[in-house]
Parts: sequence; C-alpha cells; structure tokens
Amino acid sequence: MPRLSLNRYLSALSVMLLVATTASIPQAAERKLVLTGSSTLAPLVAEIGKRFEQENPGVRVDVQSGGSSRGIADARSGLADIGLVSRALKPDEQDLKSFTIALDGITLIVHKDNPVQTLTDPQIVDIYTGKITRWRAVGGADRPITVVNKAEGRSTLELFLHHFQLKSGDITAHVVIGENQQGIKTVAGNTSAIGYVSIGTAEYEVSQGVPIKLLPMAGVDASVENVRNGRFPLARPLNLVTKAESEGLVRQFIDFSRSERVHDLVEAQYFVPLAH
Amino acid sequence: MFEAGRFAMVRGRVLEPLMTLAVWGSALLVAGAFLWLVGDLLWHGAERLSWAFLSSSPLNAGRTGGIGPILVSTLLILGVAVAAAVPLGLATAVLLTEFLRPRSRFGRLVGLSLDVLAGVPSIVFGLFGNAFFSVFLGLGFSILSGGLTLACMVLPILIRTAEASLRAVPDDWRLGSAALGLSRTAALRHILLPAASSGLVAGLLLGVGRAMAETAALIFTSGYVDRMPSSLFDSGRALSVHIYDLSMNVAGGDGNAYASALVLIGLLILINGTALYLAEHWLNRRIIAP
Repeated sequence: MPRLSLNRYLSALSVMLLVATTASIPQAAERKLVLTGSSTLAPLVAEIGKRFEQENPGVRVDVQSGGSSRGIADARSGLADIGLVSRALKPDEQDLKSFTIALDGITLIVHKDNPVQTLTDPQIVDIYTGKITRWRAVGGADRPITVVNKAEGRSTLELFLHHFQLKSGDITAHVVIGENQQGIKTVAGNTSAIGYVSIGTAEYEVSQGVPIKLLPMAGVDASVENVRNGRFPLARPLNLVTKAESEGLVRQFIDFSRSERVHDLVEAQYFVPLAH
Repeated sequence: MFEAGRFAMVRGRVLEPLMTLAVWGSALLVAGAFLWLVGDLLWHGAERLSWAFLSSSPLNAGRTGGIGPILVSTLLILGVAVAAAVPLGLATAVLLTEFLRPRSRFGRLVGLSLDVLAGVPSIVFGLFGNAFFSVFLGLGFSILSGGLTLACMVLPILIRTAEASLRAVPDDWRLGSAALGLSRTAALRHILLPAASSGLVAGLLLGVGRAMAETAALIFTSGYVDRMPSSLFDSGRALSVHIYDLSMNVAGGDGNAYASALVLIGLLILINGTALYLAEHWLNRRIIAP
C-alpha cells in the first residue's frame, strides 16, 4: 500500500480506537438492561425501553431480536437480563419466571377474492395435513390450495400446532415463512393461499387496503376486541421471562411494561394490552 | 456449391441480426431489471426522503421518524470491517503472489480455505461472530463485533481479487525493479500495488457491497438497538437489518423500508463512485510520476 494511504489508515484507526476508549468510560457508570428474544416482541419492547429510559435517566435498555428460543436460552445463561418469549412457557421451561405484558390473537387469513367465508376446525386440520388439497372441497373455487406455514421454532407455529393437536411432521406446507408480515404479503399475492398470522397486524393491513380476509375461528370473529375479552380461542401471551426472582432495575422494568403507562405503545404495535 | 453458398448467405442474413438482437436484448434486460428496481424504490420511497429523514431518530418502531442513528451505525460497522479486512487481505494476497512460489503447498492450502470460506452462508458467519466476538471475546452486541464479523466474511473476496490483480502485473516489471536495485518493499509500494490498483479497488468494492447488504451476519453481532451509538462497543442497527425488520416484522413499516433501501442504494453508488475516482486519479498517477 502506498505510504500516504498507510499513514491515513493508521491515523484513522487510532482515532477510532481513541473514540472507542474515551467514549466507553462514562458508560461504566450507566445502568444497562439487556433484553433478547422474540422478533415479534422486539419492536414493542424497544419502544417501551425508550420510554423507560426517558423516565429513568442514566438507564440504558438494549433490545436484541432473534426469536423466542433465543430469549429462553439467553435468559437462562444470563446473557440477557430479560428474555422475550411470544408464547406461554413449556413444562420444561418452568425454571424461568414469566410476566405477560400483552396478548396477541392468531387467525387464519385467505385472499380477499376467495369466496370461502369460514372453515371448521376439522377442515383446517385437513387442509394443513394435506387431506384437502382443493378449495372446492370446502366451498371455494376449483383451485389447488397453497398452504402457508411458519418456520420451525416460531412461536406462532407452536401455538397453531398445539391448538389443533398437530405435530410438525403432519403438516404438508407449500410455503414456509418467518415473520408475520411475510405471511400477510404471501397470502395477499396469491388468491389460492391460506396462512395464519397475528390478528392485530392483519386488521391493520386490511384497513390499509391489503387484499386479505380474516376467517373466524370456531364461530368467533377474528378481532382484537374478541382477543381482549378472551372469547377468541387462538391467542398467545407475550411474555418477559427472567431466570430468578427479579429485583431492582429488572423488576422496575417488568412492572413498567405491565402498567397502563405503556398501553398506547402496545396498541401502536397492534397487540392487545392487558386488562387492568 | 450453389446450395451451400445460398445457405451461408441466408445464415448471415438471419443469424447475424438475431445475434445482435440477443446481445442487445440481454444487456437491456440487465439494465432494465436494475432500473425497474430503482424505479420501484423511488416510486414508493422518494417522497419520504429528506434531510430530516437522514438525521432524525426512528419513532414508533421505525414507522415514522428517520434513520440517523442507523446510518451512523452502518458507516461505523463498515469502517471497522474495512479497517480490519484491507490490511489483512492485502498482506495475504502479497504473500500469495510475491513471496510464495506459485503452486506451493502452503499457497494452495490458503487458496482452498479461502474458496471454502467464500462459499459459507452469511448466517454461519453471524453465528460464528456471535459465539467468538460477542461471547468468547466479550465484545457483546457491538459495532465492533459486527464489523469484525463482516471483515471475516469479505476477506476471501478481497484476497482473491487482490491476488488476481497482482498476478496480472507482468513479471517484467518485477524483474525491472529488481534490476534497478529496488527492494521488494519498494517495488511493491511504488510499482506493483499502484499497477494493480484498479483490481484492488474493484475487490474492495465487491467486499463493501456485500458487507453493506448483509443482514444475517449482523443481527446476532451488531444487533438491533436503534439508538445513536456513542462508542464502538455500543450495539447499533445496520441499514439492511432495519429494512428487513420494517418490511417483515413491523406492520405499516413499508414506506420507511422503501426510503431506507433507497438510501442504501444511494450510499453504495456514492462509495463506488468515490473509490473508482480515487483509483483513477490517485493511485494510477504514482506509476507515471512517482
């Protein structure tokens, strides 16, 4: 490398190191909370964290995404002070303490132009296990059904499987998706598709003119209202989890997240706040 | 004879324009795909672009507000990656081309491991970076972890292109500089590296391009925090992670996702342009008038 650029490189590097070392000193005095886990919860908790920082100067809340399984693992290993888990804890996770901060309903969606208005639970099971492969069998057009399923490890998948008493291996999926929005975009772009997503975001997308339709579940309309009053059958808690009895700053953050002071934030992310 | 001649004539009359059409068509298709992409981004995102968007913090999970802290984090991550990868990559390439005999066993081993590394999916680099830089070295979720992970990822591209461009310098130049009594270092500095500069810059651009577009390697290393970073040890969200989150995870985030993607492409074009300009006007001149 020519001399000039080598010198420049070295000086840039030393400036960066200087910035890094000097700027990191005052942070040692700051109190920091690290939260990792569910990508569904991460945007909401990041917003709660910002408000918490404003009300408690000198506190920093770092939220990292990566999935509920990661939230469990990091809370256990101590890598995170609090894990984010968008489902109820399983029997083998009872060593952790969970604190519900909001609810989220899950329902099936189809394209707006699909004439099917409702599906019974056995029909849903048959569609997802590949016993029904054409819409005509459930009162729709004579078209093959595109089954959209969630990827392994997603809380929505686990909730769906649990509700319909299915095993992951039973499902014959044509499209496997990750995040919620991906599910909505997949179904909006395919008139033969069926998928399951969060009710709050689906309601919002419908209001924005996205061509999808929410199907009722067991005769109950899929609406945020029915999730709130507990009538909708397929709902999940959104949880903060900790390893031990929480105290100090962690306790303070959990209490704050469960209080009415964050209801507007919960609703802004299209989830259902806890009843108080 | 007459038949064959007529056939050749017909072939010339039909095949030639067909070939021309195919060549032009392919070029137009490639350019068209790019223009369509940029056009789509402009259509959906241009109205949101403003100085305020570039400088303010994201609000309401990124649906409103800007991308100021994210832009700063992205540039810092990129800076760390380039600062770590360029000297390492250049030194390795120089070793491979100038100090090792071609086809030496060690050289082939390094080459093989580079080719394997170049084919490794980025999520694997992300998990490695998380395990090594974040946990083992204790850097946590930080811009430093993310930048160093990216450096590992772009090293193979950087070394391979630098190696190729150094090998393309004719051996006469090496012999000539040796005959003039130049030391190896001096020959490298004044003759070989400047002569290979356009190839080196092209390799750097490929690396930077891959680094800027990276999501999977960064979500577990530099992380998700969208606050303005105050040091390299802070977690900072990269632009590509932001775009992914807005379009896949945040209902109503599409508008700002388009605008952020537009910024990302603009940044890439800007960096490409600057690097090419530097290569033309700065490094090349050193050969002609050292």
